[in-house]
Amino acid sequence: MPGSAQISRTLLDLGYRGIIDLLPCYLSIQDPSMNILFANENFRKDFGERVGSPCHLAYKGSDQICEACPVRESFNDKQIHVSEETVQLSDGEVAQLVVYSVPVLDMLGNVEAVMEMSTNINKVKKLQKELTFLGQSIAVLSHDMKNMLEGINGGSYVIEEGLKDGDIALASRGWDIVKRNIGEISNIAQNILYSSKKRDIKCHEVSPAEIVRDVVGLFREKAADMDIRLEYFSNPALPPVNLDSASMRRVLSNLIWNGLEACKQDKFKDSHSVVVRTGFHDRYCCMFEVEDNGIGVDEEKIDKIFEEFYSSKGSDGTGLGLFVADKIVRDHGGRIEVLSSPGKGSTFRVILAIKQPKL
Amino acid sequence: MEKTAKIVIVDDNHDLLFTMETFLTRNGFEVQTADDGQKGFDLIKAVHPDLVLLDIMMETTYSGLDVCKAIRSDPGLKGIPIIGISGIGDEMGIQIDKWGDDDYFSVDEFFEKPVDREKLLERIRIRLKKGVIKRGHPNL
Repeated sequence: MPGSAQISRTLLDLGYRGIIDLLPCYLSIQDPSMNILFANENFRKDFGERVGSPCHLAYKGSDQICEACPVRESFNDKQIHVSEETVQLSDGEVAQLVVYSVPVLDMLGNVEAVMEMSTNINKVKKLQKELTFLGQSIAVLSHDMKNMLEGINGGSYVIEEGLKDGDIALASRGWDIVKRNIGEISNIAQNILYSSKKRDIKCHEVSPAEIVRDVVGLFREKAADMDIRLEYFSNPALPPVNLDSASMRRVLSNLIWNGLEACKQDKFKDSHSVVVRTGFHDRYCCMFEVEDNGIGVDEEKIDKIFEEFYSSKGSDGTGLGLFVADKIVRDHGGRIEVLSSPGKGSTFRVILAIKQPKL
Repeated sequence: MEKTAKIVIVDDNHDLLFTMETFLTRNGFEVQTADDGQKGFDLIKAVHPDLVLLDIMMETTYSGLDVCKAIRSDPGLKGIPIIGISGIGDEMGIQIDKWGDDDYFSVDEFFEKPVDREKLLERIRIRLKKGVIKRGHPNL
């Protein structure tokens, strides 16, 4: 009957045991020897049939009573206690729990048992970690932006001084600094845009060689300033490929940028180069390849380099370039392969089907 | 004739090195530059400058903090005023001006990029005044 306070038949049939089993948390009741007297369905599902076992064995796989034990504290002071515990589920997964321990009193007011109720907060912890990481990453981005603003600021000063003295060579050098830093800010802004929102891929037939030639052209000056040889090769037999040209230019820009930075960081070789190639990967796929002889990447870091905001280049990397490149290539149904050797250099190969599906 | 003050700039960013060198030279200082920590410290040892302008967060093998520590640990160099420059600030949770006087890593003053050039010039001139080499007095 709507609005009535009567408990429904379904709930009555379920009984308290059934209701407790439905609780979306772990619930167990321990006796003074810490043995489990009762456990709800969720507990049994994740920790196994543990009634009769000591709780420390069931929750933590330990035969010792835990050092700081909320259940024991509730036995001692008849109060509710809260703590965070790390436990191991029966499938081996390690979980962080928020645990409430509540004393169950007998008629005389003595603690007969303690009820332990806990919630798995692994997802919250993961989110917390991601938020912390995001905060740190934004701080790094801000550091990079300030460096570039400093470049624009300083370059403007040099232009002014050059103009004041009629020294065109000085003004022109200042202008180069301003242009370079505007380019870098624009690059970061583009990567932030690509990484933060879903962008529809608009494919049309384009020549990979043309993309490579254009993008390499954009980096000629930067490479020359950094004293790095930048060259490209393309296989003239490669037919036009159905691609989102703007996105693929971004991929190549990020890979070339990455290669130049990797070279800049290397202090051991006398000369550095970044070589860009496009051609056939096999009969069905084309490839874009960027090879550098920079610092290379350690094997254990290879899996991380495509993660958002991960940078192996300290403050010289925003951690967005490879993430964005990988995202775009995946959107095209392709993949990026990496070959890297610490101290020797890296090769990033973008592999795409020559006949791209119409996206 | 008054002696020209010598300043060494250490920064791995070539744009900053050039623009800051231009700025300080045009304001009457004798400037020398180094683009990594090791070269920077070698230069400081060789020329014994009157002041060092140091990028704190250089990503070179020998970082800005290493240079700072090396200067502070060297009895012949430890009195040289160091002005730290970096793009880091409160958002990185680092407050360089709060570092203690006895801390080896401590710079005398800190400027966040983009640097206010006029303010920097004013602070350099104050730091270079005869006798004002005592560290840890940002309001001097």
